[in-house]
Amino acid sequence: MTTKSILESFINNGIIPEQQATLITEYERTKSFSIHRELRAILYVGITLLTTGLGILIYKNIDTIGHQAIIVLIAGSILACSYYLFKNRQPFSRGIVTNSDQFSQYVLILACTLFLILEGYLQYQYQFFGTRYGIAIFIPTVLFFFCAYRFDNRPVLSMAITGLASWLGLTISPLSVLEKNDFTAPGIIITGIILGIALVAFSWLSEKKEMKSHFGFTYILLGGNLAAISGLAGLFRNDPKILYFVITAALCAYLIQNARKNQSLLFLLMGVIYGYIAITYAAFVFLPDSILAGLSIFYFLFTSLGVLFFLLNVKKILRLKK
Amino acid sequence: MKKPYNETWINNLHIQNISQSWFKRNLITPKQFEKIILEFPESFYKPGIFVKTGLFLFTLLAGCFFSGFISLFFLENSTDKIFTVLSIVCSISYFFTLEYMIKDRKLYHSGIDNALLYMAAVAALIPLFLSFDHLKIWQYCLIILIVNSFLLARYADILIAFISVGALYVMFANVIVATPQLKPFLPFCLMLISAIIYSLNRINYGVYYTNCQIVIKIVALVIFYLGGNYYVVREGNALLSDLLTPIAPQIPFSGLFYILTMAIPVIYIYFGLQNKDRILFITGLLTTAFSVFTYRYYFDIIPMDLILVIAGSVVIILSVLCIKYLKTPRFGISDQKDESQSTANLEAMLIAHQFGQAPAGDQLHFGGGDFGGGGAGNSY
Repeated sequence: MTTKSILESFINNGIIPEQQATLITEYERTKSFSIHRELRAILYVGITLLTTGLGILIYKNIDTIGHQAIIVLIAGSILACSYYLFKNRQPFSRGIVTNSDQFSQYVLILACTLFLILEGYLQYQYQFFGTRYGIAIFIPTVLFFFCAYRFDNRPVLSMAITGLASWLGLTISPLSVLEKNDFTAPGIIITGIILGIALVAFSWLSEKKEMKSHFGFTYILLGGNLAAISGLAGLFRNDPKILYFVITAALCAYLIQNARKNQSLLFLLMGVIYGYIAITYAAFVFLPDSILAGLSIFYFLFTSLGVLFFLLNVKKILRLKK
Repeated sequence: MKKPYNETWINNLHIQNISQSWFKRNLITPKQFEKIILEFPESFYKPGIFVKTGLFLFTLLAGCFFSGFISLFFLENSTDKIFTVLSIVCSISYFFTLEYMIKDRKLYHSGIDNALLYMAAVAALIPLFLSFDHLKIWQYCLIILIVNSFLLARYADILIAFISVGALYVMFANVIVATPQLKPFLPFCLMLISAIIYSLNRINYGVYYTNCQIVIKIVALVIFYLGGNYYVVREGNALLSDLLTPIAPQIPFSGLFYILTMAIPVIYIYFGLQNKDRILFITGLLTTAFSVFTYRYYFDIIPMDLILVIAGSVVIILSVLCIKYLKTPRFGISDQKDESQSTANLEAMLIAHQFGQAPAGDQLHFGGGDFGGGGAGNSY
């Protein structure tokens, strides 16, 4: 099926006149090939390569003459980036800034990463913050939060949230929450739950107050994931189990409810999967053995069919629009 | 062959998508667009990617426990024969459910049907593998290829397409390696096979198979490149001849492979841009990266960190120059923003992943090593 045959069928059905069809054919013939996304991806790869290289370069060349030149170079680059950002800044807005300069976002990411490298170096070489490591992480976090809001930059916001989490000793990136966090360490589960719920609450507040409501997604994805996994870890490991179960279940219910409001089905999926794990585990722990014996053969078959039915009819059940 | 998915609907879906892009460019009026939707209707169940994932996972779960449930009846004696019967029973049930669900719920690659198809295919292959043991690798590949080709023709699933084409390559490679006369020419044979697959794949088999053809095209392009890549040929040669030297020995025709390693990505990118072929273009970009890696692997002159800094700067400058240069479209290439798909949230998550791996323990030795490096190294 080609453009030509589609247009012919349109003409035959009397939907568009022939003249318009020639116009569309002309458009299809001459339309340009946009490599916008590819170029942005290459730019981003470049930034990653450069910052990684600089990070290694500094540590390898410590105590040589060259390394002071590198420090000056990094500091100079940060200043240059800041100048560029300052020159091309847009007035602050509570919503999405659409007409910003096309390079600003990448320059800000570069500047923030370079700042991390420089700060790490200062601490390593001169013990700039002494043994107060907390402050060393806290300063970039605050700075990144400020930059994210001022320049309307979601990647930097996620860097800031990451910094906040590592200040509390947690890893928050969705793909490594499970493998990188040591949930056997005391207090880490509670911290995770509290930070996660705080982030989710913050996304709710952002949306309610219409203060950068498009940041809500980042907050809820990072926070919800962390809180749900910490809650499950608590459910598996700690007592009282009922408390952790209630927390996790409530969070999943909120995520599913949020999917309805925001029309975002990612949160629906998170809510359903975490909720299913929590309920299944709770059923096997709380139910008496006599019921379990009969239930266990059919449990997974029928509950997964139930979830399938729910997902198939999710639009009707939650009254989603799309 | 009769197809389970409604072909008219698939064509109509294609028409609707194309009209939508015209509608966005104001080439057709809203009224005309509405009329197109009315005249070319489709009523597939098309959930978003996340609901699809959920449906896929829970169908797999249900399917696994269904087979477990069935196997309860055969627990007493678990021989190969019982296992064969069990697989056949499961496979038939999965296929039956698959056909029924497609008809009843109007599914179209919606997660449930994908999961059922994969489970059915695996269950159908098990008895074949059990009854013909001690075959050669290429004979197993042939079995997989034959079964999957039928499934591919009927269901047009992309993973099935990938597995079919993979089985085809492994089959040929196995035969060639086993033939002493052909063995030295393995890279050229693979390149030739890729070229044949690519040219056969250029025929338009209809909208029904569009996505499968894309998958096959990518595989053919990648294998063609790898067949000519110096690193793959040199290391592969050492591996196949069981040479246990720490450094793989030099290969014959090395000059030719050097040229191929450099030329193929350039050719891909050039023709990708010229023919406005995004797949060719992106494959070209990725293979370029692999060619750079190949060069770096054998010519270890400059230290890694310096290479990273230089390469990073060059890549940044090049892309910024390209973006500036393409402000006004040239040679039919532009830097126009595609508003239909926003990747802002995805970007944020990528960055969180990259910079977000600070384990709690490292906080204590902030001053020393990787963590203090900020973006330094992958271990941050």
